[in-house]
Amino acid sequence: MRARPLDLAAIGTLATAFIAGLVVPPDAVQGDLQRIMYVHVPSAWLAYLSFTVTLVGSVVYLRVRSLRWDRLAGASAEVGVVFTGLALATGMIWGKPIWGVWWTWDARLVLTAVMFFVYLGYLALRRSFDDPEIRAHRSSVLGVVAALQIPIVHFSVTWWRGLHQPPTILRPDNPQIDTPLLFALLMAVAAFTVVFAALVSRRVELTAAEDAARRPDDTDATAGSAISAPIVGGATS
Amino acid sequence: MSLRRQITTLVRFELRDELRGGEVALVVIPFAVIALLTIPMAIGIDTPLLERIGPGIYWSIVMLFGVLVTQRHSSLAPAAARDMLRLSGVDPAARFVATTLATFLLLLGFEVGAGLATVILYDPSLSSWWWLAALLPLTAAGLAMIGTIGGNLVAGLEGRTSLAPLIVVPIAVPLLLGAAQATEGLRVGAGILRWVLLLAVVDTVLALAGVLTARPLEESAT
Amino acid sequence: MTSPTVSLRSIGVRKPGALILRSIDLDLPAGSATALFGSNGSGKTTLLRVVATLLRPSSGSGTVLGAALGSAEMDSVRRRIGLIGHEPALYPNLTLAENAELAASIALGRPARSEAHHALEQVGLAAAADRRASRCSNGMRRRVEFARMLIIAPDLLLLDEAHVGLDPEAWGLVSHLISNVTARGGSALVVAHEEERVRPLVDRTATLVDGVLAGNQS
Repeated sequence: MRARPLDLAAIGTLATAFIAGLVVPPDAVQGDLQRIMYVHVPSAWLAYLSFTVTLVGSVVYLRVRSLRWDRLAGASAEVGVVFTGLALATGMIWGKPIWGVWWTWDARLVLTAVMFFVYLGYLALRRSFDDPEIRAHRSSVLGVVAALQIPIVHFSVTWWRGLHQPPTILRPDNPQIDTPLLFALLMAVAAFTVVFAALVSRRVELTAAEDAARRPDDTDATAGSAISAPIVGGATS
Repeated sequence: MSLRRQITTLVRFELRDELRGGEVALVVIPFAVIALLTIPMAIGIDTPLLERIGPGIYWSIVMLFGVLVTQRHSSLAPAAARDMLRLSGVDPAARFVATTLATFLLLLGFEVGAGLATVILYDPSLSSWWWLAALLPLTAAGLAMIGTIGGNLVAGLEGRTSLAPLIVVPIAVPLLLGAAQATEGLRVGAGILRWVLLLAVVDTVLALAGVLTARPLEESAT
Repeated sequence: MTSPTVSLRSIGVRKPGALILRSIDLDLPAGSATALFGSNGSGKTTLLRVVATLLRPSSGSGTVLGAALGSAEMDSVRRRIGLIGHEPALYPNLTLAENAELAASIALGRPARSEAHHALEQVGLAAAADRRASRCSNGMRRRVEFARMLIIAPDLLLLDEAHVGLDPEAWGLVSHLISNVTARGGSALVVAHEEERVRPLVDRTATLVDGVLAGNQS
């Protein structure tokens, strides 16, 4: 496999962001623990970005019916689910020492978890099809319906939590942040975004190759050749 | 044939098929009642607690078991019957509306059945019961639409019985929150208008999505 | 001479892992009945579904009842197509009469209980009309499909192994349905693998071998 400029850019920005995340001073209150923010916040950002890309891919597919857009939608959701999972996991690891619990019913956390499962369902649906055309049709419908629900889930969860007590704990994206820390965070967001682009573009290529492998050319078997004349009566010689 | 007549004909026969098969009345409702019965066994018999959590448990049961109502046998016409309807010139949107309507009525029956069991087993106290006349249909309509879309998405697939709930339930989260928070508001005597509006908005968005996606889904019939 | 009911040119259908049909040219002249033979898995049902406008081919073009495949007019000609597939298109918990009534009402666009009842009588199911479809034999369910064809009177009749397991009386019905359609100037396409029994019903035959149309003689 040949490394492409996008891959190199992803590795380069990720390395830079990694170093930046290590050399900036620790947070005044949380100390080194806060450095997990450099993974958590960009992952959460990618969750939103990827599902937006899936929505765009689905809508465009339904209009132009070109499989390229369906592959983009699928690849983006797949990469997105990984980063959504990472956002949830890092959120829990970060939350445990600070809040004393792995899970808290923070609106944003709940929304992220719901999104995670919505797109897990989306990927499970995609995997169920052999035929790329049928897969594209059905998953793009789900891609649109799921995306329509995200803002509604967002509002309902926010209202739900607002009804009880507004969480006053430190938010992962605390706006009162020191300049060097903010720089490192922005670096990380940029790096993760480039990594996302690189992964999605690779995944799109891979899906195209998978579809091509399933799609026969004229040298392949035709229908019926899978069945040969039955041998009965035991006369095999 | 007018769209309205297509829809009423389909709903009539689909409901008759279901009522005769009895999947919802004889299988899904009893299953839901067993669930309502086992929860106090698992968490302990603390009457004030059960009274408090009863409505919330009811709505989770409605959402989880309601998926079974939406994926019942009669909502998934045999593949040959789908071909027949398609060749008879039945509009895909009319089929979506018909299946949704039939499911809506069955879900409403399911909600009432499970609701009675909840009242008997948990004895919840709500301030303004009449609000339920809006909450039950709004929730049933939303779940029916998500279930019909989900059922069309997984139609013909081998793993559809396990796949459909994974697709339907996360998308139905706003319905659960809306319905559960509204009944919680009724229990403590708080305003619930915004939750009712939330349910109405969800239903409107789903109705648009269902009608608009009916044709692409039919074209992808296996 | 009138234009053919169905005219397909270079139709190809691909599915993952296999090429089901390749460069099929098929004409169904008006007023003719054609048998399509072929062994299991040779692509007969796939070709039938393309003709029925239920499956969009991967390549090629054609017209069915004057409408181009994949065009918007397809919606308006679909109701002139009568298809009887492998599996009867019946709701299991509805009676035969209700199934016939549903199909008739949808097809005719108005309540059609008496038409349904009359058609069931014609196919010899009057006595079994109130039995649930799930409790009827395969042959009886097939006859409900024949009743449906009598009601909708299609211009293009498509039978997919619809004659399998029929008694001689029901064979007479198949033959009657086919001659009804051809007499109206429509066409019939009968998919089968039992050549001897089907040959007398049709005036043209074609054979699919491995996704290619081998014989197309009158």
